[in-house]
Amino acid sequence: MTGLDALPPGASVRGRADGFTDYLVGPAARRRMLTDRFIETFEAWGYGFMVTPLIEPLDTIAAGVGGVQQSALFRFMDSDGALLALVGERTVSVARVVATQLHDGPFPIRLCYAGSVLRNQALNAGRRRESLQAGCELVGASGLAADAECIALAAAALERGGVEHIQVDVGHADFIPGLLDSAGLEPAAREEVLAALARRDLVAVESALEGTDAADAERRLLLAFPTLRGGREILDMAAGGLRGARPHRALQELAQLWDLLDAHAITDRVHLDLGAVRDWDYYTGPTFEVFSVDSGFALGSGGRYDTLLSRFGATLPATGFVLHVDRCHDSMVRRAGAQTTPVVLRVSWDGDAHAGALELTRGLRHKGVACTCDLDSGGDGDVRVSAAGARWSHLGRDEQGSVDAAVAALVPHAS
Amino acid sequence: MRGLRVALPGGTLFDSACGLLDAAGIARLDPGRFDRELSISHGDDVFVKVRPTDVPVYVEMGGCDCGIVGKDVLWESSRECYELADLGFGRCRLVLAAPRDSALASGVWPQSLRVATKYPVSARRFFAARSLNVVVIRLHGSVELAPLTGLADCVLDITATGRTLAANNLVEIAEAGTSTARLIANHAALKTRNDQVGAIAVALRRMAAARTTVGAA
Repeated sequence: MTGLDALPPGASVRGRADGFTDYLVGPAARRRMLTDRFIETFEAWGYGFMVTPLIEPLDTIAAGVGGVQQSALFRFMDSDGALLALVGERTVSVARVVATQLHDGPFPIRLCYAGSVLRNQALNAGRRRESLQAGCELVGASGLAADAECIALAAAALERGGVEHIQVDVGHADFIPGLLDSAGLEPAAREEVLAALARRDLVAVESALEGTDAADAERRLLLAFPTLRGGREILDMAAGGLRGARPHRALQELAQLWDLLDAHAITDRVHLDLGAVRDWDYYTGPTFEVFSVDSGFALGSGGRYDTLLSRFGATLPATGFVLHVDRCHDSMVRRAGAQTTPVVLRVSWDGDAHAGALELTRGLRHKGVACTCDLDSGGDGDVRVSAAGARWSHLGRDEQGSVDAAVAALVPHAS
Repeated sequence: MRGLRVALPGGTLFDSACGLLDAAGIARLDPGRFDRELSISHGDDVFVKVRPTDVPVYVEMGGCDCGIVGKDVLWESSRECYELADLGFGRCRLVLAAPRDSALASGVWPQSLRVATKYPVSARRFFAARSLNVVVIRLHGSVELAPLTGLADCVLDITATGRTLAANNLVEIAEAGTSTARLIANHAALKTRNDQVGAIAVALRRMAAARTTVGAA
């Protein structure tokens, strides 16, 4: 018997749970470096690094995220019977910390984090159930300058991490609900349209609008939904004929935000997207998503969430974003192929040269060059330094101190 | 930038999907050629033929930028895609049907009910609003046999003409929904390839609308 037949029914296959990943030496290092680049950028912009728990009480999470996201949590019971969950995102945790421990300010507070988040996805769906997220939260600033700072920082961090050809889509969480208000829809029809939009079902949006007496300008915008994208000029185009104050206010905010992003010198990567569909219970103002042509999923997303902290007892405006490290890594691999891993030199020795070899490795490591020293003697009586592959440098006994020569020969880019 | 990758559903919708792409001026694809090749390039664009249930998988995960698939497949799928347009063809209905001589057929709903279906998600949603003790039995084909063999009391299945139901002595009890072919798109592709995806959406919509108008006239 071979293959599947060789396994008795019910035999345990000692492997990983579906949706979880082992990161071996190269990818694990690149993933960590990518996270480091993100955090370095966040810190360079004055965002203090903090850590929140992997587990939160379900009540805490439920204060922040809606039912659909809650149902995707890994849940379990604490020893006192209380329900706990593995966090599915970390903004709620940061909001809890600020509202309960940092509520006296001074504001604004700039915080950043990186850590695993877990989602209980369907089996064999090809989706990650554990992924790494790095994010920033800017709490206590209500102005659009704070939103612009977050968008610019997200773009800067991705670029610092080497993620190329990004595109930022900026929308406003109040535009579509405001549009529905000013369209004069019945509450039931309004909910139907919002629900269809949330499902991204534009066919249902259309049929929900058909039966209503929505005003022409609003109907036109709602039906043009996926094409409401472009530069600053689309704001004027959209504003024509709109009656309600609410959508106009959203458009004005986006116009101001565009000018701020222009001052940040990133409008060449920004599209305004009036049809952006985001979680309307959570976001209250400008929102954004970051894309690249190398990924079918958003690499990052964020926005203003002014009501979240009040659910933890502190009335504070806030804005922030998260970057999906694994998706960024996927997109880089797709573009460039698996990048080379850092070179590790190998120092081998023979006879009485062990001490000399160790001295050489100390010198190399002091220079920041990764190296190993053979545990047993070998070779032909000299200390040798070799890198992965065929390249190696032979150093005679009288040259043992010549660390610089070894580095220059084997790690050209290090000096 | 590369062209679009488009997922087409094998099976009953396939010929009509190729026909609509041709009529809309997007691509002239010979359906017969897909018997020999699974993927066909047309200009910069690539068209792949996959099982209908796999279309949302390819599109959500970014393997394809957009795809054509029946709404009945989307009812069952938990994949997150944008549904851009109703393409009008492939019209069929999801109905609850029971043997002609059953109590259910004469309008009496029993307290408990065994339902055989290829659409378990839709079945749960359909019965969620009714206070019945329902056991959903998921089958992969020929569900009409389930009542004949006593496996189930009724079926929830797709019907276009009603002929298969009638041939198996089943009558329609209730309608759960109407399905037509839809154009779906990947979230990121809709943003990063907005012009390309938008062009295919506009062309297919226009052609589908023209056909509906002609059909109605």
